[in-house]
Amino acid sequence: MNSKFELPQVSAKPSDLIQGISLKAVGQPLKRKEDLRLITGQGRFTDDFSLPNQTWAWMVRSPYPHARILRIDKHSALALPGVLGVFTGTDCSADGLKAIDHSPVPSTKYDVKLRGPGDTPVFVGRHVLLPTDKARFVGEAVAMVVAQTREQARLAAEAVSVEYEELPWVADTEQAAAPDAPRVWDDLPTNVLVDATFGNQEATAKAFQEAAHVVNMKTRINRVTGVPLEPRAALGNYDPSTQSFTLYAGSGGAVRQKRELAQVLGVDAEKVRVLSFDVGGNFGTRNRAFVEFGLVMWASKKLGVPVKFRAERTESFLSDYQGRDLITEVSLAMDAHGKFLAMKAHNLSNVGYCCVSLSPLSKGSGLISGSYDIPYAVLRSRAVYSNTMATQAFRSSGRPEVIFAIERLIDKAAHQTGMDRIELRRKNLIKPSQMPYTNPVGSTYDSGEYEINMDRALAIADWSGIEDRRAQAKLRGKLLGVGMANYVESSIGSPKERADVIVHEKHIEVIIGTQPAGQGHETSFAQVTADLLEVSFDQVFITLGDTDIVTAGGGTHSGRSLRHASTVIALAAIDLKAKARQILAHHLKAPLESIDFIHGKFVHHSSHTQLSWFELFQVAQTADLPAELQGGLKIRRDNEMHTPVFPNGTCLCEIEIDPQTGGIEIKNYVAVDDVGRCINPLIVHGQTHGGIAHGVGQALWEQCLTEPDSGQPLIGSLMDYAMPRFDNLPSFKAEIAEVLSPTNPFGIKAGGEGGTTPALAVIASAVEDALLPLCGPVEIPMPITPVKIWTALQKAQKN
Amino acid sequence: MAIIHLQVNKQVVTKDVPDQTLLIELLRETLGLTGTHTGCDTTQCGCCVVLVDGVSVKSCTVLAVGVQGCQVTTVEGLADGTNLHPIQTAFMEHHALQCGFCTPGMMMSALDLIQRHPQPLTPEVVRSEMEGNLCRCTGYHNIVKAIVSASEKMHAANPASLAP
Repeated sequence: MNSKFELPQVSAKPSDLIQGISLKAVGQPLKRKEDLRLITGQGRFTDDFSLPNQTWAWMVRSPYPHARILRIDKHSALALPGVLGVFTGTDCSADGLKAIDHSPVPSTKYDVKLRGPGDTPVFVGRHVLLPTDKARFVGEAVAMVVAQTREQARLAAEAVSVEYEELPWVADTEQAAAPDAPRVWDDLPTNVLVDATFGNQEATAKAFQEAAHVVNMKTRINRVTGVPLEPRAALGNYDPSTQSFTLYAGSGGAVRQKRELAQVLGVDAEKVRVLSFDVGGNFGTRNRAFVEFGLVMWASKKLGVPVKFRAERTESFLSDYQGRDLITEVSLAMDAHGKFLAMKAHNLSNVGYCCVSLSPLSKGSGLISGSYDIPYAVLRSRAVYSNTMATQAFRSSGRPEVIFAIERLIDKAAHQTGMDRIELRRKNLIKPSQMPYTNPVGSTYDSGEYEINMDRALAIADWSGIEDRRAQAKLRGKLLGVGMANYVESSIGSPKERADVIVHEKHIEVIIGTQPAGQGHETSFAQVTADLLEVSFDQVFITLGDTDIVTAGGGTHSGRSLRHASTVIALAAIDLKAKARQILAHHLKAPLESIDFIHGKFVHHSSHTQLSWFELFQVAQTADLPAELQGGLKIRRDNEMHTPVFPNGTCLCEIEIDPQTGGIEIKNYVAVDDVGRCINPLIVHGQTHGGIAHGVGQALWEQCLTEPDSGQPLIGSLMDYAMPRFDNLPSFKAEIAEVLSPTNPFGIKAGGEGGTTPALAVIASAVEDALLPLCGPVEIPMPITPVKIWTALQKAQKN
Repeated sequence: MAIIHLQVNKQVVTKDVPDQTLLIELLRETLGLTGTHTGCDTTQCGCCVVLVDGVSVKSCTVLAVGVQGCQVTTVEGLADGTNLHPIQTAFMEHHALQCGFCTPGMMMSALDLIQRHPQPLTPEVVRSEMEGNLCRCTGYHNIVKAIVSASEKMHAANPASLAP
């Protein structure tokens, strides 16, 4: 059964779908169903799978950022022990393998519409498994060796001789956008692939003319990488008897990988089975197919044996999809009282060597005005190719970037005008009475109590005691700073989801097409299902990640999973109860209206019949039922839901800087996050903590640095890429606000990304506040390392 | 090739392995104990930590021949049948794992840490001592809580001997 579930039906509210449902499991901090296997070493990560006669693949990677491939000599490698094959882009072309179609341009009706220069279609490059013409970034696979052992494959890869002609290259975002920059793709006149402008230009220009204050800022959101601790891996197998492929590969959605990889291989989707069980971290990094996924399946067919690949950490640093890398120039116009009148923004996103996702640029573009009522805005969004690994959505795709811009701009406005930074925000926050609120670039925020969030966070952080603590810190020779940021973000994501709800002898199974990487879907979806069907949490099990069982589904990204899952499960529960009543009515030869569903039992009063789901399961097995009720007590439901939701909140952070070293210690970190309905607070808090770590990591330590003279990435191991660790993060004070979203039955927003979204801004704000007495307002580029702070302090001392 | 004798999770193991075989390769590929994970290949992430004679060791940087005659404990050897070890229970109760990939190494390092300290651990000590294990999901907050809690329970239950 298909249905489109959209809000504006006459008088019907999404929450009507769960009317009368008593919430028992929902809202409880229940322990996770996932944990037992993971704490006993029984997890099922990709590299945990092995097949008989399995062989190993190793990639030969380009050492140059941009080079023409002149010749690849396989002979020496093929002569080495255990080597079964060496494959190049020419071999892929000869077999008709196609480029991966990532569909990178967001296309739901709520996404801003990104276009190429001069309103042309966006040219997205060709993401082939192995290139035939050129290598376009350091680390691009140009050949694959398959051998009987991993060590043999590694040694043979070193023996593959590739003759390159080095070409001019560009890695830096602004340099890549220059008209005379070396071109990554000859198909385009420059590297600029997106150039689109949104908003009301005339009204914005007028507001800027009439403004009492104009504040300008230019900032760079550094490039980072996801570093999921499970290195990406893939195990491919071809079965000649069924002419079908099997791929074990952790990702952000097996159904998507199946569809895209079948296209690459040139076979029907049903000829590819993808298994993605436990996934060792994703954060967006794994949401797009990697070339090795297609390569291991193809090589398995060519060689007649299963082929496995597991990246070394160095390969992950070079060729996992990376994130952020945005330059933003923003301006804010205010009247004499601090009321925001209009803003202008110009965002330039570096997509790397080919375009796998424009989600970060698109998502950010829809939120440039943040949590504030700004009547007019103009935004120019551009994206540019460069000779670097492709960028993709990374936790809270696009939103930390724009929240950084607006929040830092407000701090700057406060300094520039002498107004209080809290009061300036308070004056301009969107009020609950304005909801639903349409922002100046057309995004409609569903709900939220922004000022209440802010006041709650200020109270938890003991804002009024700051000056006392600052004075105490000064006595200890430390500079105390407090940062603050409000945020709003959008959760959109793939609009379709499917649930199969199946009653078994002793449990209820829900099959669904999301793909967790630690978010606890098996637990929170079971909580939702248990309440909807009035069974116990222990009786519900969720099945995910095998495309032979999970036939459809949108995967996990953009905070979509719980909102989509709870909605489609709510719809399925209604259908399943209806079917169950029909089965019992038929069985008892009673009128349908005489069957009630009370406290988890199907009740027929006149015959004193009371059957649980599991008793009715037996009836459904044995009763003589008409065709439409046969096949067991189960239901399949599809749903399509486009309306986005807007999680929001406030974050405060207190730091101390040691002026002798520039070292920073985070003393206190407070987050208030409106996630809509919270299904499991244990899980939501965990998501917040992890999200904060990603944001703080980017602000203080993380950076995918490219050596400017050579184009070589300078991150090759965990020694080069600094990350959040036990000893550089504090414990957090995270609180949940639940302002129910009117857009879906349970009122869910999202909880996975709110920790990250304001964290960049709040750290920069805290550093600036700490340095203010000595340096005045400063913007230290991220990552804000001790040496940069120390240098700023030295400079201030000299002046 | 080298013949090695050792005990893994109290089981006697004798194997003939190539000289360059790493302990983690012996565990995962020869013995099928896939609970111990390779996260970085270079001794930096701690996903591969096991106990060798009760001491935490990063098994990605130890040769299998180097543990000749030793007792190796992996995550699979923590529970006693269906009775979970207190460190496992604490990780579950405090939601100290999300994706679960770092968790086995994290628990093994934590066990070593608890055993090395005569008193229950403080959060400060945990944060300082666990620095060699990385987690990308939890922000460490709940792992610190879990390890402190496990140390309290283990000390209360059996202060004399904390061997797993």
